[in-house]
Amino acid sequence: MAESKLVMLVDTQRCIACNSCAVACKVENNLPRDVWWNRVMTVGGPHLDAPSGTYPDLEMYNVTVACQHCENPACVKVCPVGATYKDPETGVVRQDYDKCIGCRMCMSACPYNGVRSFNWEEPAYHLDFPVGDQDVAPHQKHVVEKCTFCWHRLAKGLAPACVEACSARARIFGDASDPTSAVSQKLKERSSMRLLEDRDTEPSVYFLR
Amino acid sequence: MSEYTQGGALANDDLDFSAPRNKERVGERSSAVVKSPALNIAIGVSAAVVVAGLALWFMQLSGGMAQTAMRNLDSWGLYITGFMFFVGLSAGGLIISSVPKALGIAGFGGISKVAVMSSIACTVAAIGLVVVDMGQPFRVWELFVYSNLGSPLMWDIIVLATYLILSCAYLWAQVRAEAGRMSHAALRAISVVALVCAVLVHSVTAWIFGLQGGREMWHTALLAPWFVSSALVCGTALVVCIAVGLRRAGYLELDQSYLVKLAKLLGAFVLVDLYFFGCDLLTEAFPGGSGAEVVAMLTTGPLAPFFWVEIIGCAACAVVCLTPALRRNGLLVAASLLAIAGIFCKRVQLLVGGFQIANLDLPFAMNGSSITNWEGSLADAYTGMVYWPTPLEFGVTLGVVALGFLIFFLGLKFLPLRPSDQ
Repeated sequence: MAESKLVMLVDTQRCIACNSCAVACKVENNLPRDVWWNRVMTVGGPHLDAPSGTYPDLEMYNVTVACQHCENPACVKVCPVGATYKDPETGVVRQDYDKCIGCRMCMSACPYNGVRSFNWEEPAYHLDFPVGDQDVAPHQKHVVEKCTFCWHRLAKGLAPACVEACSARARIFGDASDPTSAVSQKLKERSSMRLLEDRDTEPSVYFLR
Repeated sequence: MSEYTQGGALANDDLDFSAPRNKERVGERSSAVVKSPALNIAIGVSAAVVVAGLALWFMQLSGGMAQTAMRNLDSWGLYITGFMFFVGLSAGGLIISSVPKALGIAGFGGISKVAVMSSIACTVAAIGLVVVDMGQPFRVWELFVYSNLGSPLMWDIIVLATYLILSCAYLWAQVRAEAGRMSHAALRAISVVALVCAVLVHSVTAWIFGLQGGREMWHTALLAPWFVSSALVCGTALVVCIAVGLRRAGYLELDQSYLVKLAKLLGAFVLVDLYFFGCDLLTEAFPGGSGAEVVAMLTTGPLAPFFWVEIIGCAACAVVCLTPALRRNGLLVAASLLAIAGIFCKRVQLLVGGFQIANLDLPFAMNGSSITNWEGSLADAYTGMVYWPTPLEFGVTLGVVALGFLIFFLGLKFLPLRPSDQ
């Protein structure tokens, strides 16, 4: 049993798909060119503010998609060397680049398309110098990587970079095992949904409706 | 001699040779084959292709796997397709050779050892294809140090390694038994273990895919038995091709009745495989929804060419194998090749199909690392086949396949694979 259960809440009534979280993630983790751990998708279509449904029953909302840090992670089960594993104290699904053999079994197993990314070549960057936090593990060629819930920030007692950067304050992060925490309160107050709930992965990312 | 009259004959079917008057002549001819320039040329050519493949593999490792067509949303490709295919292909030889010995019934004449040699070659090719697919092949030692025994991939590595070692041991045991240095009971025990391992290796390979709840197309309990049946189809077909080929080359003598027996078996295996396919399609399509989407993708969608080649190829193979008038050597080889091509197409459908349907059907900005055909919209990327290999992948695959051929040819040349009484 995890001592705490870190979860991320994304308020779909607040998110305006500004992509600040995606950019903050990219900078904070010094992500290589073409690598995005966190993406914002507008449910209605490829354009900003695209509505979904048919008139007059329209809806307009966005979902941010990164590693769901599932309670029942498909990736952890299949990794042959335990390079991806669940941190028992926080419930965060972690990835050890030094261990990863690059078999990409986890990418096949994960139902959330594209949240895991493989470095298909030597990591290249748009800038000549590294950005973000210096405690971020260096990126490696031919290994799988993904959102870490900003593990290096958690260690310092900080929330993930995307939470801090969200201009609409749509993201709430915290410990769901503590009934007094902000996330527990919000989950009680608001109705919420998770992505692909039918796959029994029990994601730790909730979307408030 | 009919196969039924030999029903009681015991394990050593290699000794039960039906053309004794030709023995000496065949003996001369087959030793001529071993020394013939054709075999040496074949060895030389496969070795050259292996070296070229190695060079391409180092190119892939140094320049990055960006040179393949695999991307984050279609993260496996030709290598894993080929892996599935060669694991299947390796079945035939071992099963054809071990079933008669394990059950103590009449076998298939003098092809037993050659058949096992083909299994060994295919298993090596299968392992090679996994190795070239790995991003960090130099970390392969971790598999034995940090083994996560819960991972189907780990099971497969264990079973495949056991399978390869067992195949070699089984071949050695046959040679020893012929020399009179091993009891038939011991040989029989080894063949039972080899048979169990052969069934396991296909099931476990299926579970790499079938246990993934994340992919609609893979997640079916039928996958493991289906992999066994497909393996029997292409494995038996391979043995038919090898038997006809080696007999023609004069390497060994084989009575036509054995070939007919193999053809009947092949016909039966093909029908079972098609039956499984039918069951799976119906089960997916009947409730409608996303399962119907899978069936549409196969029958009329981007994977239709592979689907229909499999269906028509396998059906044609069954017709040839089960119609006595059509069981002529040329046609049997053609039918076997069709069945092998059909099973390869099945592997393509399974692998590409798994990635062809996105779970999160949400539009997002794509770039060079997301998906093969990323320059366009997400809809464009999924319109045709989501993945098609690059020349580098074809080259590396060819190199690994050549390694399989090389091992087989070397076996023909240096190992005592001919029936012992020649």
